[in-house]
This record gives sequence, structure tokens and C-alpha cells, in this order.
Amino acid sequence: MRRPPLQKNHAYLGIAALLAFLIAIPFFASDYWITLVTLILIFTVYASGWNLFSGLTGYTNFGLAWFIGVSGYISSLLIADHSFSWLFAWPIGAVLTSIASIGVGYILLRIKGVYFAISMVALTEGTRELFGTEYLTAITHGGKGVPFVAGIKLSSLYWAILLLATLTLLICYKITSSKFGLRLLAIREDELAAETLGIRTTRDKIIAFALSAFLVGLAGAIHFTYQNYIDPSFAFSIHLTLTPIVMTLFGGVGTVFGPVIGATLFTFIHEILWAELSLLYMSVFGAILMVLILFFPQGLLGWMKEREILPRIRKI
Amino acid sequence: MMERDEKKILAVEGLVSGYGKMEVLHGISLSVRRGEIVALIGPNGAGKSTVLKAVAGLLRASSGRVVFLDEEVTNHPTYEIVEKGLAYNPQGRVVFPDMTVQEHLDMGAWTLRHRLEKEKALERVYLLFPWLMERRKRKANQMSGGEQQMLSLARALMTHPRLLLLDEPSLGLSPKWVKTVFEKIIEIKKSGLPCLIVEQKAAMALEYSDYGYVLETGKNRYEGKGDDLLNNPDVRRLYLGG
Repeated sequence: MRRPPLQKNHAYLGIAALLAFLIAIPFFASDYWITLVTLILIFTVYASGWNLFSGLTGYTNFGLAWFIGVSGYISSLLIADHSFSWLFAWPIGAVLTSIASIGVGYILLRIKGVYFAISMVALTEGTRELFGTEYLTAITHGGKGVPFVAGIKLSSLYWAILLLATLTLLICYKITSSKFGLRLLAIREDELAAETLGIRTTRDKIIAFALSAFLVGLAGAIHFTYQNYIDPSFAFSIHLTLTPIVMTLFGGVGTVFGPVIGATLFTFIHEILWAELSLLYMSVFGAILMVLILFFPQGLLGWMKEREILPRIRKI
Repeated sequence: MMERDEKKILAVEGLVSGYGKMEVLHGISLSVRRGEIVALIGPNGAGKSTVLKAVAGLLRASSGRVVFLDEEVTNHPTYEIVEKGLAYNPQGRVVFPDMTVQEHLDMGAWTLRHRLEKEKALERVYLLFPWLMERRKRKANQMSGGEQQMLSLARALMTHPRLLLLDEPSLGLSPKWVKTVFEKIIEIKKSGLPCLIVEQKAAMALEYSDYGYVLETGKNRYEGKGDDLLNNPDVRRLYLGG
């Protein structure tokens, strides 16, 4: 039986109501809930940012933590040692990371498939070592990390990440239905064919990579300000790369809203398991993950599109 | 050779190219004139596909010249050559599996800046492949091999080209589709677009072509009008299987 497709107006109304609710959260919710939603939003930006590049171009980025760590470090050091306000430190971190990613992309985005993925892992690990080395202690504080206070209230930080997450989704939505998005998809589907149609594949890949770096970097800066602490093994942790990827797989790779749904469900499941089954947490989590990948290989949104619960369009 | 100098769309002179340090082409020369179908035939490993890739700027030429529409384009980036009017249809029905027919055509047309230009290209493509119209919303992975080859051809035509390079358009197709593909190529030629075709099915390609080149291990071996090559006993014995 076919269900009637969702009405567009209803969808807008639903999004507006959700947004109003999210904006209002700091006025009535406890700090526990504000913190939980803040984490969901940070990981929404990580997952969407990963998806924006990897989901559309098919180049699997296993170095997301590099974006997060580099921007996190730049902004944290600016706040801790150079008395910058978070308001300036965050964008400076994100912009510098984005610029650096253009250089990285220029070199690494010519390498295809698994080699690109491995190179990004190597870059992240290498940078972690660099930030932890004693030779650079004067700048980075070395391996012992940087504790700092940014002087921003939890509610303000929450609204900042809410704004960023909303913008990120809007950008992903716009790109997916744009010519640029279609070019990225063509690269994913067949890069040679894309090139023969006159698409400047390397340039387009670098633009998507740098945009992903900017958004993820900004979220990374907010993340470490929220933690009031940064150190190399935390900032460049493989978990910061893998968790957003798993969230995206969970929600639907290459979809617009998959990463948000993935980040939300994933964080809640994580919370429940952690509270109820802290000893078996990782094994139960792994089992859930395997079941999901076996039975929902296209993620939740992909599955819903296939069943025609949702319209089969790219814009969702 | 002299008589072929006028009305040249494409001229390749002494082209040397290959993959990395492996040289495949040791100085190839050929040309395509206005309104012609030119076939490039020869045994496996002769370098036929390599010629097309080097012309399209996908491989570097270490020596020699490629002149397209009276302008040297040797080692120019692919997007520049495509924007100048070269359409290159790669080997093996290269479609975008998850994209619809409409999206393929949009992709093909994306170098065209004017709306009007795009509509003209679309009109021409639908005239050649009327059945694409009703399958606009179908994804490429729901199509047969022959349909995919046609879609790939249609997409190449959407760039509004001045020259079409086809790499083994018959590869992996049933005899019925092979015939359809060649008939479409004739129609395309009649619409004023010259083609350079690389084909394994040499006899068939020569039958449909105005001119042919036979390559062997990266060098020119024979050339001549399609019929002449077909009737040349040496070519028949060596490359057309008797």
C-alpha cells in the first residue's frame, strides 16, 4: 500500500516548530538537557560536514578529526594564551583550518579511493604527534594539554552551536539541489565521465573539502570551548572521526537529513546504554551497529525512501 | 595525405603519449575533417583508446601536437578542450548509476552558459533519442546496457560539441544494439557532427566510416577511405579476420 507523500507545507511547519522548541530549550530545561542537545548539535555539524564532502563525492574522509583538532587547537590557544574572545577565536580557527585544508586537498585529492582515506588517517596521526611534541611546548603546551576558561555561558554556547547546525543543514540542503551538488554526485558516480563532461573535478572536490573543513572546524572550536580543555590525544582522537561517520551511515549517506537523525538517535542510544549498561556498553553498541548495517545498509532515511514513506528525492 | 589538409576539425601530428613511463603511442598522426566519420582500428594494445585520451587531455603528450579547430590544444586541461567543443564518450557505457536521465542531460549541458543553447541541445538530443523523453525520471541503473550506451551518447551530445570521440561504442552490446548504435552515429554525422570512433569491430566500423586509420603497436600502419581499407587484402588478412 502506498502512503500519501508528506505535504511540503507540513514539513516547513514542523521544522519551524522544532526550531522554536530548540531555541527555547535554555529557558526551561535543566543543564543536563542543554548539555545533551549541545553535544547532539556539535555531532550533527561533524556528521553533516563529513557527509557534505564524503557523502557527495564518494571520497571517504578518515581525517575528520584533523579538521576538528586543528581548529580546536588554534581557537583554544588564542583564548588561553592570547586573550582572544571566543567570538573571534572560533572563526579564526575555522578559517585557518579551511585554508590549510585547501593545501591538503590540493595534494591528497588527486589520490583515489582507499589511498586517500589512509593518507588522511596518517595526516591526523602525524599532526597529533606534532602538537604533543616537547619541541613545540612553548606554543602548544605539548602533551599535557591546555585547560582554559572562555567566559561564555552554557546557554550562549548552546545558541551558537544551534545557529551553526541550522546553517550547516541549510547549506547541505542548498548544495544537494544545486548544480555544484550535481557535479559532486557525478564525481562520486564516475569521476572519469565527470571529467569528460568538462567538470573541473579537482577544483570542485577541493571546494567541497574546504567547506566541510570550515563547518566542522567551527564546530570543533565550539566543542573544545565547551570542554574548557584540549589535548592532542583528545583533539585528534580517531573517535572524533569514526563517530560522525557511523552517525551518517546510521541516518543515510548522501542524504540531507540523515546525519542529523543519525547524530540524535546515536547520542540518545549512547546515553541510555552508558547509564544502564556501562560495563557492556561497547559490546551492546557494536551489536546494534552490526544489525543496523546488515538490515539498513542505506541508513534510516534511505530505507524510508525505498519504502516510499518519504519521497525519493535528493533534497531530504 | 595532402588532400586531407583542408577543412580539418582535428589534426594529430606525431603524438607520443602513454601511461606514466610506459610509452604507448610512438608518434601517431591522423586527422578528422568536417562531416566525416573516421574509424581508428587495430589489434588490442595498438593504442587506439590512448589516442582518444591524449586528444581529450586525459593523458599527457610528451611530444607531438593536437590541433582542434585550428588551435593547438596539446596538454590543455580536459575542461578547456571540452568547452572548446570536444565531446569524449569513454569506453564501457559510463553512466552515473544513481542519476536520472534528466540529471545526465543536465550534467552534459552544464558547460553551456545560455539557457537557449541548452534548450537547443536538448531538442536535438530528444530528436535523436525520442524514447529518452518518456524515461526522463528513470535512473540509469534501471536501464539496459544498450539504453545506457545511448544515454551516455546523449549526454556527450548535450555539451553541444563540434567533434565527437567515441571509444568502443559497441563494447558489450547485443548485435541488435550494436546496429542501433552505428545507425545513430550515422544520424549524428548527418546532423553535421564529425566523429572519431575507436572500434574493435573493425569491419563494421569501416563500413560506416568515410576514412580509416589502422594502428599497430602505437604507430600508423595503413590509412585510406573506409571502402578501400575494407577491400585492401593486407588489411583484410591482418585485421579483419580474412
